[in-house]
Amino acid sequence: MSQFETLPCNQILNSFVLLLEGNTDVPMRHNIETHLSECPECSAELAHEKIMHSLLQDVLRRTCCESAPVELHDSIFAQIHSQMAGAFTTEVTTEFTMTEISIEIDEFGTIEHREITIEHTEEIRYHDEFPEKG
Amino acid sequence: MTSTDLVKESSADRAVRFERDALVFTNQLYAAALRYTKNPHDAKDLVQDTYLKAFASFHQFEPGTNLKAWLYRVLTTTFINTYRKNQRRPQISGGEIEDWQLASAASHSSNLGKSAEMEALENLPDSDIKRALNEIPEEFRIAVYLADVEGFSYKEIADIVGVPAGTVMSRLHRGRKQLRERLTEYAKELGYSVKAPKGVKAQDSTEEETP
Repeated sequence: MSQFETLPCNQILNSFVLLLEGNTDVPMRHNIETHLSECPECSAELAHEKIMHSLLQDVLRRTCCESAPVELHDSIFAQIHSQMAGAFTTEVTTEFTMTEISIEIDEFGTIEHREITIEHTEEIRYHDEFPEKG
Repeated sequence: MTSTDLVKESSADRAVRFERDALVFTNQLYAAALRYTKNPHDAKDLVQDTYLKAFASFHQFEPGTNLKAWLYRVLTTTFINTYRKNQRRPQISGGEIEDWQLASAASHSSNLGKSAEMEALENLPDSDIKRALNEIPEEFRIAVYLADVEGFSYKEIADIVGVPAGTVMSRLHRGRKQLRERLTEYAKELGYSVKAPKGVKAQDSTEEETP
């Protein structure tokens, strides 16, 4: 296919994955479309690729549809519930902070600076009843 | 749910939400895990680990975004980090060639090759489809599975697997090609009058699995 010097056939053929995945920028798409309009062999190849791609998807989806065994469902459920046991807790935290600043200057000009900070934090945990799976 | 609501959400509510939204993917994740690990025992462990990790970091999941993609990322990362370490399976080595579009010498196939390939794909039993999937390199298998079975876009796959989008493209291209080559070969073994399309088997030999 020497008449297509900018994009040879093999590069067009290898670009089909980009077309199938919708990952072509505008100049690239233009180049591919120009080539396809002038090269019936590549056009036929693209048509075949599209059919094969959808056929392959159908076959794979039909094949790869195993269900997880019941015991796996059960053990995941049990595992999450044991993790959740600690999670069903309502936490109430109250915080209180107060800072008192006093500055005194005595008759000798000495500056006395005092800062008192009071902090109070209270944490209450209520253990909720574990919700049953409805 | 807004982000403000999320801040207020208690851990108990989050657990209920996880159970409601995430557990519906168990079957799908298991089927994927079977393709990843190639055996039911490891697949079960992988899915169990995936849910354990997903539950532990569910607070990091942003509601309204794609939960399925998020779970697949946990599954894939867990597989790569844990299960693959224990296996002596050869990985694609030497770096994936990013200029694969130029490197591979593709050629047009004959009409006979085209129809034979379609016939092969339509007639092969499920066991051969799975066998072919198992035989292609792991990176290719994961990319093809995520794209063609789960329907993820190449950008989502890049995020799930943790590789650049160009690498995903390369893996999809090579993976699908190798898969089709193997299926055509199996069809020949089974006695379908398949004439291999021109130009197959010539490429990608550097990335074939070694026994």
